[in-house]
Amino acid sequence: MKESGDIGRVSRRSWLKTLFCGLGAVLVVNRVPARAASVESDLGSKESGPLTVRVSRPFDAETPVREFTSFLTPNHRFFVRSHFGPPAPDLIAEANWKLRIGGLVERSLELTAGDLKRFEPVTITAVVQCSGNGRAFYSPKVPGVQWERGAVGNAQWTGVRLRDLLVRAGMKEQARHVQFQGADRPVVASVPLFTRSIPLAKAIHPDTILAYEMNGRPLPLLHGAPLRVITPGWMADSCIKWLTDITVQAEEAKGYYMETAYRVPTTPVEPGGAAGGPSIPVEEMIVKSLIATPQEGESVKAGPVAVQGVAWSGEAAIAKVEVSMDEGKTWEPARLTGDAYPYAWRRWQYIWPAKAAGTYAILCRATDARGQMQPAASSWNPGGFLWNGWDRVTVTVTA
Amino acid sequence: MTGDGSVTREALGLNRKKVIAAGLLLAGGFFVLAMTTAAQEDDPVSVSAALAPRAEGLIIARCSVCHSADLIAQQRLPRARWEATVEKMKHWGAEVSGEEADLLVRYLSARYHPGAPDHLPPLDSEVRKAEPFSQEPAKDGPVTGLASRGAGIFEHNCQACHGTGAMGGMGPKLAKNPILKHEDLFWETVLHGRGPMPAWGSVLSHQDIADVHAWLLTR
Repeated sequence: MKESGDIGRVSRRSWLKTLFCGLGAVLVVNRVPARAASVESDLGSKESGPLTVRVSRPFDAETPVREFTSFLTPNHRFFVRSHFGPPAPDLIAEANWKLRIGGLVERSLELTAGDLKRFEPVTITAVVQCSGNGRAFYSPKVPGVQWERGAVGNAQWTGVRLRDLLVRAGMKEQARHVQFQGADRPVVASVPLFTRSIPLAKAIHPDTILAYEMNGRPLPLLHGAPLRVITPGWMADSCIKWLTDITVQAEEAKGYYMETAYRVPTTPVEPGGAAGGPSIPVEEMIVKSLIATPQEGESVKAGPVAVQGVAWSGEAAIAKVEVSMDEGKTWEPARLTGDAYPYAWRRWQYIWPAKAAGTYAILCRATDARGQMQPAASSWNPGGFLWNGWDRVTVTVTA
Repeated sequence: MTGDGSVTREALGLNRKKVIAAGLLLAGGFFVLAMTTAAQEDDPVSVSAALAPRAEGLIIARCSVCHSADLIAQQRLPRARWEATVEKMKHWGAEVSGEEADLLVRYLSARYHPGAPDHLPPLDSEVRKAEPFSQEPAKDGPVTGLASRGAGIFEHNCQACHGTGAMGGMGPKLAKNPILKHEDLFWETVLHGRGPMPAWGSVLSHQDIADVHAWLLTR
């Protein structure tokens, strides 16, 4: 009990720091007053703080990959991404917040946070990954937040099954898609809202939940408090935060974030080419692995070096992870560690016998149970989505 | 100015009469910019340095309403993608004129092109302070604010952080804020920034600031 209390205090403080970091860095400030400077030094540099900030407003930040030696990614170190930042506090305050369910339903519902707690609680451990994770590695460069490796995390989500709410509302026969809208709003009203939908089959899947807890703590504001969608195995563009409205529809959601953004071409596009051809929404995650340690640029002593990381795939289990020390010409199997859980990532370890001093590139690739294997580089697409090329770190071995 | 004039004279081989005419144009300030742009259009560093004062002012005043400038600085895009991006932002409500959009595209594709290094040197080392965004000359003496004009200026420049009706948001509530009664502190904050708030001295004219102050007093 005491221990969990301590963890609570630490994470609250760290969370505040994270928030401060976001607010403090709102715009480029030339003169940094003493107070702001102390906050800055407390956080350390951008790279060594709990998160690597990509955009200060709206706050977008990724997790340094060294954190991925742990199975669960702590809330205050979990990547943060939204189009407009958290909504105004009064919109999601417990006294005002309601979840509305409407559209093609027999009975429209309006539920309070208390009402939700009366549905059966479900806990699922799942990877949540930004669709643009790894965008920075596409060549030629693609517009958008230049995420590198850490716009991903693995957390334990607790909430209610979306299907339980849909059953309570009663869906009409024409229902095919379920649309989500959060309370977040753009600064300028002419900017399209972040409105998304998922097909009915995913919506009524028993593992698709609306989460109000993250890693056993109330869902933090930056992660969508009081309620967010979790679509296990699917990219985070379906995991709407600050959820307020669920609409059952015959059609996919309309608008920029469904019809233009978060889509990938169905036929190959020449690198550097424009969007506009046939495309489908980004949905399921694809097989991917990362090296958490050693870190990029690290020096290690000659001798056995523990190479560790994580691997995951959308709705399939990880079958194997391999490591290459010769730019992908030959591969050695890594050992999968810990237990396998659907939708969670799998940790892996490879003991590399580092013999001679020098600089070495360590590569890894994963294969899932369906036989899909990480490619050397993902095929280029205009939105820079779904990067899953081999992961690589360069280390120096000292005698 | 004299140095620039003599270089121009030698380079162009102009006779005395034309030099005088050119000198008059120089005084207007437009000739230098036109020559610089024409002569160095191919050199991205010179182009971005020449356009930076005005373009950076526009970025603070028009783009940073919705997102911080670090999102822009991490892009490395060819001109066509910058054109499409600026057009998209205009379509979404960014308040830039056709001429300003053109300036932004020229600046962005000169500074943040695919061949630009990952870590660009800070702008401060290349250019001076951003130019006043507003075309009105700054006045030295006290200016009388017009509350009716201040409402619109607040909406376009301040509301993103200080909220609708100045009721607060990411930045503090300004309606009935005691700082309004301490005009020196108010002006100091707006002109030079404070904590996370950037300096607006290069974006808003003194008349603009006085108008916003007058409007805030009515809130």
